[in-house]
Amino acid sequence: MAYLTRNALVRWLMQNPIWGFVLIVFIFFSLMTDHFFDLRNFQNILVQTSTIGLIALGMTLVMINGNIDLSVGATLALAAAFAVDVQGWAMFATWGSWQILPAVTLALLVGVVLGGLNGFIVWKTGVDAFIVTLGAMLGIRGLVFVYTGESSFYAMNFAYSDFSALKVGPLPVLALIFLLCTIAVHLLLSRTVHGRNSYAVGGNREAAVNAGIRVGPHMMVNFMIIGFLAALSGVLLSTQMGAATPNLGRDYELWVITAVVLGGTKLTGGKGDIIGTFGGVLAIGMLRNGMNLMQVPAFYVYVILGSILIAVLFLDKHFNRQAEGGLRL
Amino acid sequence: MLLTRLKAGGPAIARQGILVAFLLFMVAFSLMSDRFLSADNFMSVFRQSAIIGVMALGVTIVVIGGNLDLSVGSMLSFATVLVVDLHDKIGPELAIPVMILATLCLGAINGALIGFLRLNSLIVTLGMLSAIQGLVLIYSGGQNVDIVDQQGTWFSIFGRGAIMGIATPIVMFLGLALLFHVIMSSMPFGRKVYAVGGNPTASVFSGISRSRVVFTTYLISALCVSMAAIILGSRVMGSQNNVGQGYELQVLAAVILGGTSLMGGSGSISRTVLGVLMLAFIQNGLILMGQPYYMQWLVTWAIIIIAVWLDVAAKRGRLLSPIA
Amino acid sequence: MKRTKTLLLASCGAIALGAAASADTVRIGITQNNVGIDSYQTTYEQAFIAAAEANPNVEVIVLDAGGDVARQISQMQDLIQQQVDAIIVWPTDGQALVPAVRNAYNAGIPVVVTNSNIAEAGLDFIAAFSGPNNIQQGIYSAEMMCDALDGEGQIVQITGMPGYTTAIERQQGFDDRLAELCPGVTQLDIQPGDWNRERAQRTMETFLTRFDDIDGVYAGDDNMGVGALNAAIAAGRAEGMVFIGATNFAVGYDAMERGEYWGSVYQSPVDDARAALQTALDVLAGEDVPLLNYFDTPKITQDNMHEFDRPVF
Repeated sequence: MAYLTRNALVRWLMQNPIWGFVLIVFIFFSLMTDHFFDLRNFQNILVQTSTIGLIALGMTLVMINGNIDLSVGATLALAAAFAVDVQGWAMFATWGSWQILPAVTLALLVGVVLGGLNGFIVWKTGVDAFIVTLGAMLGIRGLVFVYTGESSFYAMNFAYSDFSALKVGPLPVLALIFLLCTIAVHLLLSRTVHGRNSYAVGGNREAAVNAGIRVGPHMMVNFMIIGFLAALSGVLLSTQMGAATPNLGRDYELWVITAVVLGGTKLTGGKGDIIGTFGGVLAIGMLRNGMNLMQVPAFYVYVILGSILIAVLFLDKHFNRQAEGGLRL
Repeated sequence: MLLTRLKAGGPAIARQGILVAFLLFMVAFSLMSDRFLSADNFMSVFRQSAIIGVMALGVTIVVIGGNLDLSVGSMLSFATVLVVDLHDKIGPELAIPVMILATLCLGAINGALIGFLRLNSLIVTLGMLSAIQGLVLIYSGGQNVDIVDQQGTWFSIFGRGAIMGIATPIVMFLGLALLFHVIMSSMPFGRKVYAVGGNPTASVFSGISRSRVVFTTYLISALCVSMAAIILGSRVMGSQNNVGQGYELQVLAAVILGGTSLMGGSGSISRTVLGVLMLAFIQNGLILMGQPYYMQWLVTWAIIIIAVWLDVAAKRGRLLSPIA
Repeated sequence: MKRTKTLLLASCGAIALGAAASADTVRIGITQNNVGIDSYQTTYEQAFIAAAEANPNVEVIVLDAGGDVARQISQMQDLIQQQVDAIIVWPTDGQALVPAVRNAYNAGIPVVVTNSNIAEAGLDFIAAFSGPNNIQQGIYSAEMMCDALDGEGQIVQITGMPGYTTAIERQQGFDDRLAELCPGVTQLDIQPGDWNRERAQRTMETFLTRFDDIDGVYAGDDNMGVGALNAAIAAGRAEGMVFIGATNFAVGYDAMERGEYWGSVYQSPVDDARAALQTALDVLAGEDVPLLNYFDTPKITQDNMHEFDRPVF
């Protein structure tokens, strides 16, 4: 019996090599540094990963569809700017702390609309999502600068930044939101028709069409979801800063894609899951946190992260031979 | 209306959507700024676009082969820092070949991982983007590098000199463009790249070594980066460690604007040159009109999508995609 | 599974040991803006580590945010988590760091802000600021520009990375003082050079095409100023054009010596780093430290440049 369960564990790890990696990283840093193995540090890691993590959830959906979204970093910045700026509008001056509500609502709406716009363009023009969102990445960053006039916004109301310090039991509220979203997207992907369709659309487009799935609107919904999650991530990040800066979220798309790919989602579509993505996000978060605690010089951090990405890709390929040949965009 | 016109004979014109857009832009800018249409300005824009242009040539070939190269930005930082730093240590006649060799090594790593080990090019070059940036910083210790004797060195010819009255960067850009145009359009290697990018499985059956072709495309990309680094280093006579940051996206935008498909197998060097020039003239024109610099990002957003859309639409013969 | 358990136990043991090992030295954590992006920040880091190593009672934890606000906030959390005795922070953004600094304050850890100040709302939560006065530097540059042009002329400005505090403050100081001191000098245009010499060179080339008469150029640092100078020399228009920068780099110093560059603001990263560490130590020693500790960043021009050493960066 014991042998069997152990075997099952090994098999599960073979299928989800990222969790094996998470385990190794976890043990390594626990042994190597004093402050890693500590409840407060685990709380920090969860809060720190929530930013990239939330977007990664959406990216998993989009990538399972066989698409990609490079514009998430800019969307995050624009949503953060709205969230912080709108609560200062004169019309909400008498609302007290309730002024945060319309601000956050509007910010999330901005994310959904921009995601929807990307999805709509992909659907109607048939232009590759990589190109559509590469354009949007530049353009939305331009919008951020137009809107903010190049300067940072800050929230007058300390209640806004106090939100990020709230805790529910042992869990910081930001971590809780991230975990709840993770569970929600996991259920969406594994238990609903929309989730099944996501795999179908990415795996075999023709078969999906024949099965009566409306591919265009389906992809657009996933783009709206990632837009929403990027905006949510921007709002939560801005609560940690009590401010929004125009350069916020630069390069985040690269880290998000890295996390999702580490988690085993294929760029070709049709394959991937939230459990893997969660592992990928945790792996990057723990690496960053652990290297901070170990004081690895910043210059080496770049080399280490880059090498690990390639190494995991190599191992994954080694374990999952069936991916042969399907390695194109 | 447009739909039917596209079907009937329209494709030829629509296929040149980028050219049409380019001309429209030039006319609009000329009307709005009297400085725009001057020989001085043209030369200056051309010269400025040479660095991105030379890099875009290599990336075009990689993309035609069905892959991506996001590491060119970091690689440019690496090559520029190396050539400038070595210039004062071992002299330009040694610094240049050493830098080219080192950059080719990085290209070979990309090529081996993607060509022979068949790893995904987006992720590999993303990893290399980060790793090479770290290498640059470790090499230089994070210090800027400078060429002390700026006036006395012949190294200045690449970025600041002129050959027969034409600025050297322009000569290098167009020379390399011509070279790669010939290679891609009428040499066996070019045909192999199109074959590998267009239909990898069929190309294997026709006896082409896909691994070797892909490997070579990355060597070419690295070579182009090293040429761009010579221009950049000579032009600035110094380098920061992050000098190439973000170039990968501008280069990719130019290649895409030129109509090279990310699916591989189609695209051309000449159209990439057009894409590069178009991006450069948009930036230049908007600044000449006194627009804030971020307007160029908004304009680029619209242009990229419209240009590629027209291109795709012409290929399939209808404006809207068949996606249900 | 069994092995995992042993490892976990072992790691718990290691933590207990680590806690016991802390002696009476002070532990100071620093999170910097973006080391390696230019020589100033790199030299600062080296000087900081050297200063800390010279003092046997100091143990430092040196981190770098890579220019990313969110990463800097994480690093602040990590430092609070390690219960360091003091935190020195070089803000990536003066506004966005306020809550993180407030968290450290609430955790009882004194924070010293270095190089570029935090927004006003955060001043209540810091022990001290140590660094140059960037607005004052902008003012100095405006005064030099005014001087050099005798109060008449047309200039262009090349700023640092949009959205970054140092860039914004220098521009603000320069714009305000210039308008006030010599209304005869008009600014034709302001464009960013992103602290990047090549980009500044390109921006200047476009300026040169656009404007027939440029009498002066103000650049947010010498690195960009020299880029602009390069462009003007290449166009054969550098003669008589006034170039003024800030943060005197070695390239700027050399250009000044050749008579091509008018002036700059002298700012030593070594002084900057030492001042930050010393301020933190003073705070920890319970000394009365003024809230704003500006170290001197004098004007440097062709006339007085030999009073200064050539910058090492």
